[in-house]
Amino acid sequence: MQTKTRINTGVAAAGALALMLTGCAGSSADTDSSSLTIGTMTVPQSLDPAEAMGSAMPYFQAVYDTLVKREPDGGYAPMLATGWTYDESLTELTLTLREDVTFDDGTPFDAEAVKANLERFRDGGGGQAQTMALLEEVEVVDATTAVLHLEQPNPAMVFYLSDAAGLMANPAAFDGDSLTTDPDGTGPYELDSGRTAVGTTWVYTRADGYWGEELPYDEVAINLFDNENAIVNGVRTGQINAALLQDVDQQAVAESDPEVQTQPQAIDYQGIILFDRDGHITPELAEPGVRQAINHAVDRETMLEQLRNGQGETTNQIFGPQTDAYDPELDSYYDHDPERARELLADAGYPDGFALTLPRMSEIVSDPLATSLQSDLADVGIDLTWDNLDSGSALNSIFTEQAYPGMVMNNAQPAEDWVTTVELVLPGTFNFFGTTDETVQELTRAIQTSPEGEAADQARELNRHLVEQGWFVPFYRMTFLHVSDGTVDVEPQSGMAVPALYNYAPAE
Amino acid sequence: MLSFILRRLGSGLLLLVVISALAYLLLSLPGTDVGRHVLGPAAPQQAVDAHNAELGLDRPVAVRYLDWLTSALQGDLGRSWFTSEDVSRALANRLPVTVSLMVGVTLVTAVVSFVLGVWAGVRRGAVDRVVQTVGVLGYALPGFLVTLVLVLVFAVRLGWFPAIGYTPLSQSPGGWLATVTLPVLSLSVAGIAGVSQQVRSSVIEVMGRDYVRTLRSRGLPASRVVFRHVLRSAATPGLTVLGMQFVGLLGGAVIVEQIFGLPGIGAMTVQYTTRGDIPVIMGVVMVTVVGVILTNLLVDVLVGWLNPKARVS
Repeated sequence: MQTKTRINTGVAAAGALALMLTGCAGSSADTDSSSLTIGTMTVPQSLDPAEAMGSAMPYFQAVYDTLVKREPDGGYAPMLATGWTYDESLTELTLTLREDVTFDDGTPFDAEAVKANLERFRDGGGGQAQTMALLEEVEVVDATTAVLHLEQPNPAMVFYLSDAAGLMANPAAFDGDSLTTDPDGTGPYELDSGRTAVGTTWVYTRADGYWGEELPYDEVAINLFDNENAIVNGVRTGQINAALLQDVDQQAVAESDPEVQTQPQAIDYQGIILFDRDGHITPELAEPGVRQAINHAVDRETMLEQLRNGQGETTNQIFGPQTDAYDPELDSYYDHDPERARELLADAGYPDGFALTLPRMSEIVSDPLATSLQSDLADVGIDLTWDNLDSGSALNSIFTEQAYPGMVMNNAQPAEDWVTTVELVLPGTFNFFGTTDETVQELTRAIQTSPEGEAADQARELNRHLVEQGWFVPFYRMTFLHVSDGTVDVEPQSGMAVPALYNYAPAE
Repeated sequence: MLSFILRRLGSGLLLLVVISALAYLLLSLPGTDVGRHVLGPAAPQQAVDAHNAELGLDRPVAVRYLDWLTSALQGDLGRSWFTSEDVSRALANRLPVTVSLMVGVTLVTAVVSFVLGVWAGVRRGAVDRVVQTVGVLGYALPGFLVTLVLVLVFAVRLGWFPAIGYTPLSQSPGGWLATVTLPVLSLSVAGIAGVSQQVRSSVIEVMGRDYVRTLRSRGLPASRVVFRHVLRSAATPGLTVLGMQFVGLLGGAVIVEQIFGLPGIGAMTVQYTTRGDIPVIMGVVMVTVVGVILTNLLVDVLVGWLNPKARVS
């Protein structure tokens, strides 16, 4: 009898403890309809717009407005700028600004603020400063009119003004480095410094007297994680309202839970970027036939099925479906044809194949992907060797020392095709040997100097030329999964993996 | 005892300086392009070089280390190169998380291990065999598997505990308990397996000594013999192992913090080391070394208090 009483007491105590803990469970991240908790693996370098990157935009959109708003479909809408027009030469972009916006300390948002921000962004040395490289100066016409003078036309300028470069901070805060952790913008929220732990969680609360349309949440928290397993568990238990999953295994876990709402989006593509099209490191790659052979050698369908559970779309082009340059036919331009690949190699003068060394970062090139590529290329006589690099030294070896003829990368497909052209086609970081030809020069010049929407044919032609010449070896566009705990509707952002902060709303 | 503590603290300070110099040197070995890492692959080389110069990376390592040491001695550990967070503040935010885990695991491990070890050592027979089997199982089960099962069952399926996140003790004691319970349990399994076996062996060994037989033959109650005399001698190896495990917990905390999404030092170490964020890593190294020194000192003092012979040696 005594034993039974003890057992009962123990059970009651355990029950009470469980009840207490259950009641407390999730108290660190409990959410209600007026708060939004986003889980992410992207960390901002700081909250200073001069150091902003496109992939970390939600952190900035909470506290800063951009000159131009990018809509979920990739279109542009007024924000701090109510209008924008180019002159005939496309080298002067006139912005008309709102006149009813001020920063917290009363400093007006005006053309002087635009000039200070854009020129600071250009000269600030941030990761995307080069997007303003063509900006010569900003002319202040009056308080609500600013003219951006460009060295050359830049078809992506409005895109950039809706991205990191367009974030407007209070010029009064430019002295010192206070903006890195204490943002000062005109945005819909304010950073709650007391509850923010930089590097872990950022908490934003609604800003009083916001000039624009209020976003639906009183509070937004962005929680940083270093693995998607924790994010999925957070979504399943309602501690995280929304997140983006890239890993196919975690996507499968999320999809298996009926409580989790999922929305797929084919976005970034994975593939080989061939830097050495002039044959500086690997002479064989100077031959278009060799590059075409590599494209024919890769068994994209099998890779997609085996490596990503079929979650994606095979492709041979670097431009995304939202762009003018996109041509659906080019998604299947190179079929898997080892025989044809061997013929092309023989025609190029390499009947016995050749040796190719590529860098390997395990975060991007998994063991199965490494083996699969090695096997496909070996099948046509190309001896692929992987140089295993840690992430600390990889970028140095690849971009600073320029030691490799190419690399496997996951690349975004922005909705604006000129962004892709600048990053991957024109001489620059991803074309560091400066490869070009007459067709590329002619078409890029035509696209650059044409008014918006009037160079779609040339963009498609450029795309086809690059595919035919085998400049790249894209494998597939990867399907990412937007997940939510059912309380949030998320509208994906065209051409971007990370939805804008404006794209979240309570579930209907 | 006081001179012993002062001597240990003095040598600890020396160790701190030596390790800081070595760590800084190793972290500064050529190969990692911090500017490229911060600005990303798309940034022009000119911008990368300018950023490296801005961080002072174009100066000799010795000069950079002395600068860091001078600032550190004044309490300024600098800012993260990658997130601009103040290192001291970052450590202050994250340290309680990891310390909560380490202290919690150590307490749970100590209590359960000593109970099981003494019980098995004194009772022997079936109890001993059960405890040994549990110990083998605890060793054999991979830590990450235990963690994943705990999360899946008690957080995701039953909803008894949060699956991720950390609530500071100051904010809500109940919330804090809820957020650390599963991580502590998952980290304690292997520790209990090891320490309980150690305690069991020591208890059996001490129970066989002449003075214990004498005490028992004089008719002292068994509980008094065990808790006043046997445990005093038998606790030393267990305490030493417990101390070593406390220090080694940082390694286990890395995985547990990642799975539970806990913003602690362990997860931080992995994230920032791969990026080459020297100010943050140096902060973590300093905190860890101080922790190791203080833990060892505490264990030595405890062992000396329990066992006067150890104090003399």
